[in-house]
Amino acid sequence: MQAFDCAIVGAGPAGMSAAIELANAGARVAVLDRGQKPGGQIYRSVSESPLPDANVLGPDYTAGAELLTAFSRADITHFAGADAWHLGDDGRILFSHLGETCELHCREMLVCPGAMERPMPIPGWTLPGVMTAGAAQVMLKSDAMVSDGAVFAGSGPLLYLIVAQYLRLGVPVAALVDTTPRQNYLNAALMLPRALRRTELLKKGLTLLAEIKRSGIPVYRFAEGLKVLGEENATGLQFTTKGQTHEIAADTVFLHQGVQPNLNMTRAMDLEHRWNLKQLCWQVVTDPFGQTSVPHVSAAGDGAGIFGADGALITGRLAALNILHRLGRLTLAERDRQAAPDLAQITAMAPFRAFIDRLYRPTDALRLPQELSTLVCRCEEQTLADLRAGFDRGARDPNALKSLTRCGMGPCQGRQCGHMVAGLLSEWRDERPETIGYYRLRSPQRLLTLKELSRYQAASAPAQTEAAQ
Amino acid sequence: MKADVLVIGGGIQGCATAYHLARRGTSVILLEKDYTGRHASGVNAGGVRLLGRDVAEVPLSKASMEMWQTLDEELDADTGFRRNSVINIAVDEGDMATLRAREGKMQAAGYTHERIIDRAELLDRLPHVNPDCVGGATSDLDGYAIPYKATSAFRLAAERHGAQVVDGEELITLRRVGQSWLVQGARQRYEANSVVNCAGAWADRVAMMIGDNVPLSHAAPMLMITARMPHFARPVVGAVSRQLSFKQFENGTVLIGGGAKGFADRSNNRTRLDYAKLANAARITAEFFPIMARASINRMWAGLEAYMPDNLPVIGAAENADRAFHAFGFSAHGFQMGPVTGQIMADLVLGEQNRFDLTPFRINRYDRKVL
Repeated sequence: MQAFDCAIVGAGPAGMSAAIELANAGARVAVLDRGQKPGGQIYRSVSESPLPDANVLGPDYTAGAELLTAFSRADITHFAGADAWHLGDDGRILFSHLGETCELHCREMLVCPGAMERPMPIPGWTLPGVMTAGAAQVMLKSDAMVSDGAVFAGSGPLLYLIVAQYLRLGVPVAALVDTTPRQNYLNAALMLPRALRRTELLKKGLTLLAEIKRSGIPVYRFAEGLKVLGEENATGLQFTTKGQTHEIAADTVFLHQGVQPNLNMTRAMDLEHRWNLKQLCWQVVTDPFGQTSVPHVSAAGDGAGIFGADGALITGRLAALNILHRLGRLTLAERDRQAAPDLAQITAMAPFRAFIDRLYRPTDALRLPQELSTLVCRCEEQTLADLRAGFDRGARDPNALKSLTRCGMGPCQGRQCGHMVAGLLSEWRDERPETIGYYRLRSPQRLLTLKELSRYQAASAPAQTEAAQ
Repeated sequence: MKADVLVIGGGIQGCATAYHLARRGTSVILLEKDYTGRHASGVNAGGVRLLGRDVAEVPLSKASMEMWQTLDEELDADTGFRRNSVINIAVDEGDMATLRAREGKMQAAGYTHERIIDRAELLDRLPHVNPDCVGGATSDLDGYAIPYKATSAFRLAAERHGAQVVDGEELITLRRVGQSWLVQGARQRYEANSVVNCAGAWADRVAMMIGDNVPLSHAAPMLMITARMPHFARPVVGAVSRQLSFKQFENGTVLIGGGAKGFADRSNNRTRLDYAKLANAARITAEFFPIMARASINRMWAGLEAYMPDNLPVIGAAENADRAFHAFGFSAHGFQMGPVTGQIMADLVLGEQNRFDLTPFRINRYDRKVL
């Protein structure tokens, strides 16, 4: 079994920046990533964009190329196409690679599972033709595929970004339906003065919005009561704004209302989590260096708390510095000296992040399903009515509800429904999400073929000297 | 809170006991430290099996099996019970000899529910089995149920009859004072005339508070379940001499057991999995059923289960205290016994005639033995 000083799971900005830092300091680093190329979701295909001109995707995307270059130059063992299915707090990682389960051992582990989009369980959200803004981005970045005449609905920077990218490419857009409530602008306005210290970020956002406005596509603001129309497939979007109900015909509806940490890895490792009241999501508890409740396991990037790609670069680097200290390669004083600029940078970025979080905080009406017939668990096809019936039969805990209704038992392992179920139980029990808890998750963290498992033979743990080299 | 009877433990034994007591008009409080069905009763493989039981257990298991056939109506709930039969597969003549020896023993005891099947019947009932297998044994009353649903059905029925179920209440102390049992829970105090220990993997601790010392151990049997597959096996499948055990549910998912154990961490309510052993279970499954090689495993887990050295439960009155009773240590085959155990415990508590010989299950059967 191969042994490393540090194994990093996820090759997005956090994982890459941590790996570079660690490798440059002489540590033996392994990076496992599901993708064939590093970059994660944000820098997907940045080194070989299928688009004639990747600049339409914006400077934030193309900036990723520099990081990729540094990553490829550093002495890193990169397992591409490696799907980690078990992360043990004994330092053992089991991962699928070319159809076989491989095993490695590490002294320190850094998990960078990234973010996923917050589901938007409006009526019809599971109809064919309804996708997320993130899916639109993936299609664009990986395959240069677009969808003509789509409606974009929801709120948040990623939504405006993909609309702007579509417009730059000349793709017709049926409408942008913005659900940011009026009250959010008022609440966020109070936070504006502090956020204004980061004028460049604010300017970037405003430029994006101005670009959309200039294009002349219909933009509806303060939309409520969203509903995807159609029986077999999406045929359009219905919503209300300023007392008027609108229907926009479209075969494709892209929904988005922000991102939340992808919890499956950190939850399956049984790390401590807390409820982030401002972002309305769970996140793993860490110290400023990303160290979790299990000391030799750290987490960085959006998977450890939403902070964006710029933040992920920094949190990855901070985690690396702490890991170098834990490996005995940096003194505490040296770690703190080197970390000072990054920690200051995080502090400087926080007010703007808080402003964005407040402005685009989703309403309960969009965060939680409202109609009894709306699906909550897509894998097992459980509706709000099914869950309520289970709750009324005494299943008051997410795991009890899962056992009774099968909600969360499917292949996504609750990634989609986990936050919704926590939110619903919190509402029904009138208790805080911390009290409600979350699904008990286990490995494998994704479907594993029985054939592959049957070929797995446990390797013996590496000798201490080998691991310590 | 006060009641006639206090039941400790909200697994299927505790919930069934509370149900049978409550429906006979007895006031019952059930204390569960987590939530009902949280451990072995809610996460086990769901086998409802009479086949291959220890002879000592057969009378109880047979009575329980009869109760399962009409349990949904009785409890007015869906326990997920399906009488799809169980087949234990024989791979060679050695296995067949084992089965014939067993048949002789069972018939001598007057039991006829187990039946040996030949290779033709095996292939007919399990068309996807490896054709090298030579036969097997079956019990047609057997099948499976959905563990959490069944446990929760008993709980709800108990509550409808007036039982009070307190989730999230951990037993701190249990004392006999005068004619009463006094309980200090983490949240409240309770008082009752009788106490029933159905605390599963934690039952030795409760037994100790009652005054009975018992050689109970605990372990974490592991399970895994696949994503949906085309239907290929109606009976529950086991094997005479191999660690093979699986069942396909109506939704197409296949639950694979086999008895391999992970790591039990009782004090933290946790289990850890042993992937090498699960890999072995995967190998055996694919070897017996080549169709399973294409299955995708969706989830793996383990539950905390209590074991007695002879793999037989403790069912009966306490040895060293009055008005205390035990039902625990079912050693990974107690789910099927839940309905009858509840009835027996109610009989014992209420001092009514009990129709079973409980001698093999007495708590003091290991006294003076050095284990």
